Amino acid sequence: MSTAARRRLMRDLKRLQSDPPQGVQGAPLDNNIMTWQAVIFGPDDTPWEGGTFKLLLEFTEDYPNKAPAVRFVTKMFHPNIYNDGQICLDILQNQWSPIYDVSAILTSIQSLLCDPNPASPANSEASRLYQDNRREYNRRVKEVVEQSWIADDDDDEDGDEEGEEEAGAEKEKGGAAGGGGQA
Amino acid sequence: MKVKIKRWHAVATWQWDVNDERCGICYTAFEACCPDCHIPGDDCPPVWGRCNHAFHMHCIMKWLNSQQNANKQTCPACRQKWEFRA
Ligand SMILES: [Zn+2]
Ligand SMILES: [Zn+2]
Ligand SMILES: [Zn+2]
Repeated sequence: MSTAARRRLMRDLKRLQSDPPQGVQGAPLDNNIMTWQAVIFGPDDTPWEGGTFKLLLEFTEDYPNKAPAVRFVTKMFHPNIYNDGQICLDILQNQWSPIYDVSAILTSIQSLLCDPNPASPANSEASRLYQDNRREYNRRVKEVVEQSWIADDDDDEDGDEEGEEEAGAEKEKGGAAGGGGQA
Repeated sequence: MKVKIKRWHAVATWQWDVNDERCGICYTAFEACCPDCHIPGDDCPPVWGRCNHAFHMHCIMKWLNSQQNANKQTCPACRQKWEFRA
């Protein structure tokens, strides 16, 4: 059935295709316009450069009067992104307005990557490093950039297991380093 | 100098969103009706706020009704408190 939310999402899709913003892509799943997959490419000349970060956007029939639920599927390391991929961004919460569309949402998230808001930390370690140790912060960001390629390989049936093992090893290493820092 | 700025401001105010023929909420044209209606016409007119932003009547009502907190009943475009222009 064609509801107001679905028609609006069709317009969002047309706009995203006819006037694509730089560095982001998005499209609804094949048989469900209420769920979108999106990719944000890490902006050039930043530690995020080269990364391909996947997101999932889930809309309700209240769209555009309510913001969609947006989360990163790719593992991130960012002051305003929780470990489960949820994003702490004002326009997705209390500053939402029904004039936003998918294009606006994705470009806002893209600019959040390089311009974190330390006032609302969602990842305390990333937040601390961003403020106190930018070198280490950048190194950790580059790590997730590299992991985003490994995650991409997972899509191909072949390199599946190898990729997962590598990602797991990285994670353990990161955890140990974090624990050492805190002690 | 101050006089010039005032005059410029007056011009800017005069040009309210008449150029924008689309409703900023549903993205359809004002001459068409909102997605909840089927027949364009007087049942679904564009309405203006005191801030001079315009939306389909049904679209702005749906937005305002979705905001439980009266302080949040703002214009979607400029976030000023929404009041219908007489
Ligand atoms: Zn409308
Ligand atoms: Zn209507
Ligand atoms: Zn306004």
